[in-house]
Amino acid sequence: MVVSPTTGPMKILGIESSCDETAAAVVEDGSRILSSVVASQFDAHGKYGGVVPELASREHLRAIVPVVREALEKAGCGYADLSAVAVTYGPGLVGSLLVGMTYGKAIALSYDLPLIGVNHIEGHIHAVISQNPVELPSLALIVSGGHTHLFEIREGLHYRLLGKTRDDAAGEAYDKVAKLLGFGYPGGPVLDRLAAYGDPGKVKFTLANMKGNRLDFSFSGLKTAVLRWTEARDITAEVEARKALFRENPRPTTQQWLERTPQATRDLIASFQSTVIRELLRRAQSSAEQTGARSVIISGGVACNSGLRRDAPAKLGRIPVYFPEPSLSTDNAAMIAAAAFPKLARGEFAGLDLKAEANLALAGA
Amino acid sequence: MNAERFETASEEETIALGERLAARLPEGSVVLLTGNLGAGKTTLAKGILQGWIHLPAEEISSPTFTLIHEYAEGVYHIDLYRLDTRAEVETLGLDDIFDHARLVLIEWGERFPELMPANSVRIELESAGQDRRAIQVTALRPAAPDQARETGK
Repeated sequence: MVVSPTTGPMKILGIESSCDETAAAVVEDGSRILSSVVASQFDAHGKYGGVVPELASREHLRAIVPVVREALEKAGCGYADLSAVAVTYGPGLVGSLLVGMTYGKAIALSYDLPLIGVNHIEGHIHAVISQNPVELPSLALIVSGGHTHLFEIREGLHYRLLGKTRDDAAGEAYDKVAKLLGFGYPGGPVLDRLAAYGDPGKVKFTLANMKGNRLDFSFSGLKTAVLRWTEARDITAEVEARKALFRENPRPTTQQWLERTPQATRDLIASFQSTVIRELLRRAQSSAEQTGARSVIISGGVACNSGLRRDAPAKLGRIPVYFPEPSLSTDNAAMIAAAAFPKLARGEFAGLDLKAEANLALAGA
Repeated sequence: MNAERFETASEEETIALGERLAARLPEGSVVLLTGNLGAGKTTLAKGILQGWIHLPAEEISSPTFTLIHEYAEGVYHIDLYRLDTRAEVETLGLDDIFDHARLVLIEWGERFPELMPANSVRIELESAGQDRRAIQVTALRPAAPDQARETGK
């Protein structure tokens, strides 16, 4: 198969199904997003036969065909206009990955298109690189419900893992704390909204120093500290009030949450948020300095966190910091298609025997 | 059913206990780790996996979001915390995993007892104040010195 860069704009169809979201997108020349469709965004409309419970292979199987079709329609192109098909092949749930991969392979085979395998984490990095003038070497902090990783990115897109979480991911700590306080699951974004109404210096959390790699993260102890805080007080009534609100209305307003959240709990939330952000940014800053990074990338679902976005520029000083736009923060396929573009240029194609890799690593330590 | 009780005073001790228990888990074991948030389930899992496949504890992270971590061929660490219904759990294909797995550790598995194998080992963790943890193990084979040697301990 010959791919000539002189044939005009190159469109890549990206497919992502590594976890809860089924997504497809068409991206031109690695940066222009012609369409980006994520299945869960259609829940409310019932477009694909009611609620998509966002989970596991059966749901991906239901969503994959209409999602890919919609991505092509919105991009105004057909299979014949594509230069390649890119699929996420890890890390993630094998059963879920296989749905997107198999569909992508079938398209590649039927239309004689090159297949490109993309690492999900590399996708998160390209959600930022593809849309911003990021200078290399760069430092990437990938924070989501499932990941908390620090990478150095050198010229030529070579990655080196500098640190990662040893227990809970940052987003997971948010969601678990939210649930134990009665804000439902996943309630990380609710804590972010309420943190603005509390005193971040009120509750002091002492975090153990990391033995071994000092750039590793640990959020499990913080989660337990919040649990101890709740056990030392009787907050059952307010927790029950919030749970009741969440049962009646799965999307309460900030005002409704605040009415059921006394000041002490607001202070706890603000303190928790400021501790998580401090831990994230402290390591991002010291590793950026260590590696002489000329930019910092913060990507993944937690990159939507308003406190993190607010505090990062000051903490990182002269080093410019880039965040993805919100629609590219959480899982999507535009980032997969974007990450595939340099591979297309280098002719890095996968065979139809490409395997799903649950624990695919982007780079070793 | 035989039950054994242990108490650990730190995260390190919990990991060390997990390593000792690992030597007594034969091929094909399914282990249910139960206990509240922060009780130390993932910490004990680190110890068990460190003992069973010699993976450094810091390489083992929480599978809450990803649901399933496969650390080596047939060695699984699963977490059902964020799943609410039996239908959701069924889509994970646990039966397939139980069929061919060498070792399965499951956090929050007790929430779906009908989906768990009858001969599971059950490890209940409870906070006993600060960093102390009370740990009760049920249906585990007694320690046998030669078996411990066989698994490379």
